[in-house]
Order: sequence, then structure tokens, then C-alpha cells
Amino acid sequence: MEMANEHHGADLTLGHSLHAARVLPAVLTAPEAVSTWRKRAAGVAVAFGLISLVFLFVPLGKEHLLRAYLMGYMTCFNFVGGALALLMVQYVSGGKWGQILRRPLEAMTRTIWVLILMLVPILLLMKHLYQWAAFPDAASKLWAYHHGFMTQEQQLTATSKQTMLSPSSAWIQSAIVLGIMALVITLLNRWSLQRDQDPQAGTMASFDKWRIRFENLSGPMILLYVVLMTDFVIVFVKSLDVTWYSSVYGLQFLVAQGYAVLALGILTLILLSRYEPIKSMFRVTEQHDMGKLLFAFVMLNIYLCFAEFLIIWSGNVPDEIPWYLNRIRGGWWVICSLDVIFHWVIPFCILLSRDIKRSKSKMIWVCAFMLVARLLDMFWLIEPNFPDAAGNLHITGNIGILAYVTVPIAVVAFWIAFYLNELGKRPLINVNDPHTEELLEPEHAH
Amino acid sequence: MPPREGVYGLLAEFNTPDELVHATKLAHGAGYRRMESYTPYPVEEAAEALHFHKTRVPLVCLLGGLAGLTTGALLEIWINVWGYPLNLRAMPLFSWPAFVVPAYECTILFSGLSTCFGMLALNGLPQVYHPLFNAPNFADGATSDKFFLCLEANDPQFDLVETRKLLERCSPVSVVEVQH
Repeated sequence: MEMANEHHGADLTLGHSLHAARVLPAVLTAPEAVSTWRKRAAGVAVAFGLISLVFLFVPLGKEHLLRAYLMGYMTCFNFVGGALALLMVQYVSGGKWGQILRRPLEAMTRTIWVLILMLVPILLLMKHLYQWAAFPDAASKLWAYHHGFMTQEQQLTATSKQTMLSPSSAWIQSAIVLGIMALVITLLNRWSLQRDQDPQAGTMASFDKWRIRFENLSGPMILLYVVLMTDFVIVFVKSLDVTWYSSVYGLQFLVAQGYAVLALGILTLILLSRYEPIKSMFRVTEQHDMGKLLFAFVMLNIYLCFAEFLIIWSGNVPDEIPWYLNRIRGGWWVICSLDVIFHWVIPFCILLSRDIKRSKSKMIWVCAFMLVARLLDMFWLIEPNFPDAAGNLHITGNIGILAYVTVPIAVVAFWIAFYLNELGKRPLINVNDPHTEELLEPEHAH
Repeated sequence: MPPREGVYGLLAEFNTPDELVHATKLAHGAGYRRMESYTPYPVEEAAEALHFHKTRVPLVCLLGGLAGLTTGALLEIWINVWGYPLNLRAMPLFSWPAFVVPAYECTILFSGLSTCFGMLALNGLPQVYHPLFNAPNFADGATSDKFFLCLEANDPQFDLVETRKLLERCSPVSVVEVQH
């Protein structure tokens, strides 16, 4: 057995001789291509923004522009919030997938200031979106009921929820949620740079110091973030229908965030891997790991969505089922079925394949498809809340609904331009991390 | 079945996984297909050199899953619609949302079991006897620190002299003739 031990030592050193160990690329900054992509994204944003202006002049166009803007905004919120959540999770969990994904995630989170500015139109125009904002106090809600603008149930529920759902508390809640997110994002991003500039960089003492610091912030903040984002999505999306209750709503958004951010992150890394430094650093092993994580999110997403549907279907309570009836009847079943097919059936079947998860050229399309599926889901969540669309999906005399195609593309492209701008600002690899060396090892190294 | 006799194959012993992988690639390149490598821990490169990733286990898993889905769904549909139709809360007898979870569980159960037992069956397990254990160096080293490549005699390319020459080109620790 003495020999056995000797050989285990020998294997480790000789194990590398077959594959030349790669070296850290000399230049770690983002390639030129990123600024080209940014210009393209900005071009798409401007083009679709201009097309969207057409809807100002069609019947119900203005309303749909605002609703579609909310859809685009929430998609961007999911990117930023999901990136923050995943960034904190990878600090707590460790792992090489998190190391390679870190800088793209950081770049997504640093767009928080754009996200805050993008909320302003919604806050200013909220009385056109939310009943509780249009009729902010008890007296006006009663007036709305008497004049047929609210049902009695809506009037009573909205009145009882007034502490949370009123224009001033919406301002306060968004300030708290986005403010705390901005604070955590600032700290995580600042430390990440300081970590690389640490004079002791590369030593075990430095690794441990930073690991513990990131863990101590991330751990509790993951919990707090879940509470905050739940509040945010309740105020800005779920409250479009004040009469409905759901205890899993926030979690569904959280899973959707993981789904979207992983898809965007993998897409970013694959596109970056055409150029140095990601070309040398992004191994098939990590892509495969992220593909598996993405698959887990695909499953978790359908699990939560179906579980909620099953519980409400079984309960069959008049308070709860209209939410689904509005989203199934009157043509909505098409969107509903497509949502399940796009969101779950297709990604599930595709991501079962090991070869596809490991293929760069195929994963580009899978990720892009999954991002489109997110938009369809958001449309299904938002539009049926409004009386003119509930249980009645129609385009005749309602051409404005096409704003749901152009506006979210413009808003998301606008956000992506800022994301790519942030991505270009920092080296794409966080060097002072023991995983950096591991990423340079040959694949399957033991 | 009468006991099989004669040469099972030629077993080459290596000290490192790299040498094993190199030899495996060489043998594969020379047209050998009936061969196997034995390592004390998983060596992905060896599996790749053997072109091992394409197995029929996923197919067994898929078939098991489909069988489970069909079994679960048909069982529920039969019970609720024909076997014991009960009017529960005036819901339709064919209430598919209620069927999804048990059908899904059956899918998982059947695919899990068929993957596990299918994998064992495709590996030819359980196997109480293997000729390689006739080689003393294999019994000593295969689970601790040695890496083995066995080119089996039932390969059309196999030739005691030529195959030994091929293996010896890879400078193994030893090449042993293994009897059935």
C-alpha cells in the first residue's frame, strides 16, 4: 500500500503532462466586440422605440404602451434582481461555474441605476395602470364602485390593502427595495475590484479573507432579497388584480429570474468565448454545469406554476379561480398552452441532452429561445389583468396590443446596451480567487 | 454452457492515466473495438478514448419513463372514468389536472428503476467471474494505483503477436496474456 500512495502523488503531477496546462491570458479586458454588440443593442432599442410610437395614435394604444412598458421593465428587473441573487448564491456556494459567470453577473447588477430611472415613468403614470392608484383613498374607491369603475369586491379588497397599495407607499416600497439592492450591489462590486487589487493577492490568507467577507454579506442578503423582491412584484405586477391572493407569487418570480439570468449569462459567455480571455477560460465542463443548473430552473419553474394551478383548481374557490379563467378563456388558452410549451416542454426536452448542453453553437439558440419564452410568460401574467383583455384575447379593434411585441424589445435592448457597457468596464476574470487557477486546468482533471 | 477456454485477451499495465489514454487512442486508431480500460477512479479521457459516451442507457431511461407515464395515466383514467366513476364536487370524471402528479411520479419511478437495472444489465452485471482476475497484477493494482488496457481476443483485429507488439510500443509496465 506504500506504493499505492506514492503513485497517487505521481499521477497528479504526470496527469497534466498529456495536456499542456493553459496560462492566464495576458489581457483580461473585454474584447472590442462588446462595444459593437452594445451599439447594435442601442440601434435595436431606438428602432423598436420609434416603431412603438405608432401605437400612440391607435385605439387603446396608449394604455397598451404603458402595460407593455411594464412588461419590459419587469423583464429587466428580473435580469438585475436575478443577477444579484445568483451572484450572492455563487459567493455562498462557491464553484467554478460561479467564478466564470461572476463578471457578467456583476455587470448586470451594476445597471441598477438605469433600472431605478426606468421605474420613474411607471411611478409617474401609475394611476393609468393600477386601480388602487387611480382611486387612492377609501372615499374615491367608494365613488368608483358607485359609478361602476370597480366591482364591490375590488373596492372592499383595495380599501383593506390600502396600507400597502397606495401611490405613496408604492414610492416608499420601491425606494426601500431598490435602495437596499443598490447598496448590496455597490458593496459586492466594489469589493470584487478591491479583491483583485489586494497586495496579498494569491495567498491563502487573501483568499479566505475575501471569501468570508463575501459570504457574510451574501448569506443574509439572499434571504432579505427574497422578501424585498416578493414585495416589489406584488406591488407592481400582482396588484394589477387586487382581488387575487397567492403565497407563491414572489417565489415564481425568483425562479423566473434564475431562469432568465442563467440563460442570458450562458449566452454572454458563449458569445464572449469567441475572443480572449474567455476563450481560454470557459471550459465545456462549466458550460455543462450551468446547463444542468438551467435545466433545474426549467423544472422548478413548471413545478411552482403547476403546483399553484393544481391547488387553486382543487380548491375551486370563487375568490381564486377567476385569475386563471381570465387567462384561459376567450382565446387566452392559446397563449397559456404556448407558455407551457415554450417555457417547459421545449427547453426540458432539449436540455435533457448532454451533447446539446456541451455544444456552444446549439446552446446559443436554446438560451435565446428561453429568453423569448420569458417574455411570453410575462405577457400572460400582465395583460389579462385589464378588463378589456380579461378572458378576451382579441386583436380586431385592438391593434394596440401589438405594443407588447415592440415595446419590450425596445426596453430590453435598451437595458442590454447598458449591461454590455458595464461588461466592458472590468476585466472579465476575477483573478484573486483560487478557482481561477482551476479554470486553467485541463478538463476532467483529477 | 461449456466453460470457455483459451485466451481472453492481452492486458497491458500502466502507471499513469495518460499512458493508458495514449495506448487506448492508439489501439482505437489501429481499428480495435473490443477493448476495455480499467482504472482505480473515473478517468473521463479514457472513456472518451474508448468512445464510450454513446451508450444505450438513455434510451432505456426514456422507454422506462414513457412506460411509467402511460401506466400511471391509464391507471388513473381507468379508475376515475370507467372503473369507479365517482361524482366528486361535480368535477368532470376526466379531471386531468389531478392526474398529472401521480402520472409524473410513475414516470420518475419507472425511468429511475429502468435506468438502474438497465445499466446493470447492459454492463453484464451481476457477474460472478471475470477472466481478468486470473492476472495477478490486475487483482493487486486495478483498485488502487494501476491503469489497465485489455484488448480482447474476440476482436477481429486481435492477433497474439501483432497485438502484443502494438501494446509494447506504448511502453507498458507489463503485457500479460489472460486466460479464460
